[in-house]
Amino acid sequence: MGTKDIIGGGIFIALGLFIFILTFQFPSLEGGQPGPSLFPRILAVLFIFFAGIVLLRGWRTRVETLRSAPEEDFEVPRNYFSPVFVLILIAVYMALSNWLGFFLTSTLILFLMMIKLGVPYLRSVVISILLTLFVNFMFYKILRVPLPMGFLGW
Amino acid sequence: MDFVFQGLALLMAPKVLLIICLSSIYGLFVGAMPGLTATMAAALLIPFTFFMDPVPALVSIVTMSAMAIFAGDIPAALVRIPGTPSSAAYTQDSFELTKQGKAELVLGADVIFSAIGGLMGAVVLMSSAPLLAEVAMKFSSFEYFWLAALGLSATVMVSRGSQVKGALAMILGLFLSTIGVDITLGYPRFTFGSVELLNGVDFIPAMVGVFGVSEVLRNVLQGEMSYPISRVRAGKIFSGMGGLIRRYKVNVLRSGLLGTFIGVLPGAGADIAAWLAYAVSKRSSKEPEKYGAGSIEAIIDSGTANNSCLAGDWVPALVFGIPGDTITAIVIGVLFMKGLRPGPMIFERQPEIIYAVYLAFIFANLIMIPFGYLAIRTSAQMLRVPKNILMPAILIFCIVGSFAINNSVFDIGTMLVMGVVGYFMEANGYPVAPIVLGLVLGPILEQNFMTSMIKSDWDLTLFFTRPISAILGGLTLIVWFFPVLAAFLEKAKKRNLPPVQ
Repeated sequence: MGTKDIIGGGIFIALGLFIFILTFQFPSLEGGQPGPSLFPRILAVLFIFFAGIVLLRGWRTRVETLRSAPEEDFEVPRNYFSPVFVLILIAVYMALSNWLGFFLTSTLILFLMMIKLGVPYLRSVVISILLTLFVNFMFYKILRVPLPMGFLGW
Repeated sequence: MDFVFQGLALLMAPKVLLIICLSSIYGLFVGAMPGLTATMAAALLIPFTFFMDPVPALVSIVTMSAMAIFAGDIPAALVRIPGTPSSAAYTQDSFELTKQGKAELVLGADVIFSAIGGLMGAVVLMSSAPLLAEVAMKFSSFEYFWLAALGLSATVMVSRGSQVKGALAMILGLFLSTIGVDITLGYPRFTFGSVELLNGVDFIPAMVGVFGVSEVLRNVLQGEMSYPISRVRAGKIFSGMGGLIRRYKVNVLRSGLLGTFIGVLPGAGADIAAWLAYAVSKRSSKEPEKYGAGSIEAIIDSGTANNSCLAGDWVPALVFGIPGDTITAIVIGVLFMKGLRPGPMIFERQPEIIYAVYLAFIFANLIMIPFGYLAIRTSAQMLRVPKNILMPAILIFCIVGSFAINNSVFDIGTMLVMGVVGYFMEANGYPVAPIVLGLVLGPILEQNFMTSMIKSDWDLTLFFTRPISAILGGLTLIVWFFPVLAAFLEKAKKRNLPPVQ
């Protein structure tokens, strides 16, 4: 956990500093009191304060573990690509849905994700189409949400 | 009395009854699936509630959450995995009893005492909320500022794991709430020229990301899971329940009240209620040695407490607009979307909505018994739904749900980013619930602070000179300095102890 906390704390400190610097562009109230900048500036200070604690604690744990035994990774090997693949699929939906339309895009990403998770081909195709029809029914027919049509008008 | 009938009429409309049935099934399913939480269920439900009237929207959340918290007990008993975090406290006991061949007894007690707990919570909600609302009528921006601060501080206090990390998660939520046009001068903050960000980070896609997408990411990383499921003869689950109720009536009363009280505290939810009731139960039990090895008393106590907590959570949400847990944080978001401002005024202007919520709690907990029975009967089939089909289904609902609110692809992007943030934070020991509370309470905190400051011409003393404000402020400060004080006392105690020989 030590190294992870050093990185996490570092990221939050950087975010705090970034927010703090940006607030200086904000205008003040008429009487000269801070307006839009006050609340974010307080938050930035709190960010740096609490992230500093996380970082220091992480540092201490790391030093201790280094002294006692070399840090070993006991984690079970996992399928790290799967989550990345899910993110790519969301991005694909964002990029293609307006052009391809909801029906094709949804079926495509559902199919790809099921294949990735080991569902047999034929079952993936059938379930992707059925799920897309169900989502279409729920959102388009019942809730009347205009889903993207695409160039085919689907 | 008129409002009771008005509320009842709203609740008994065929469309609302249909929504209640669907929300029940949805809640039971999500609750019973290990790895899917009641909060995720609520996050995925909001896009639907967006298109409903206020009453059906609120009623669907009430029913769904009550069913989900109960259903979390089912896999705890059958496969030793809690369906939601709220069942974690007594999972071990449930499974041990199942191994002893008493699965029917456990599941029967789960459904009956969940319903009793829920009804007790509803009674407390109905009796305390109107009284508190009268007190809240006297509140001004000073008091609301402290209430929001107290709610946030309590959330951090009770967050699981590190409180410092809980604080960071909350500050992140507060920061996200500052994005967009500011309330004092209308200045666009942190928008980086983006038109979409002028209105701020949209609550719904953010929720769907933090609780839905991150859940999908976590599940696909773990790979496929299958469970050895024991079969249950559901026909017998209610036998012997009368005896249990008579025998443990004091436990039920104690845990029901304890759970509701935990619910009323801002930020503490059903999981904490269950853990606390478990601890209290063990301490006062005649058979404490059975705890962990299969104690039905433990299951009765914690199972009553986590469901009674749900109604308690609604007290601060409806009366002050301060959420009692993550689900009610989502409820407050829904109320704002509907143009309703939670707070004492809602009790005066739209009492029928409040009565509909009361009645929904009673109704949901009554129909929990038949619905729960059916869920237990079908539990083996439910647990067999493969994750590699369920996860893609949840993903597409996340995507379309986020898109549906503003018909904007930008919102899917918000969902994506928040999903990644939520995933990484949780993986590194940061609780994510405080992000939501920060996001919901941020505007309330800032708005009331700035209003107070401008009203009083930057006189900070007014936060402590008004009586109620002073009490709330004092409480908040105690919560802030409690960890420091506790550490100090601990050190002092150690110093006074004689050295170990």
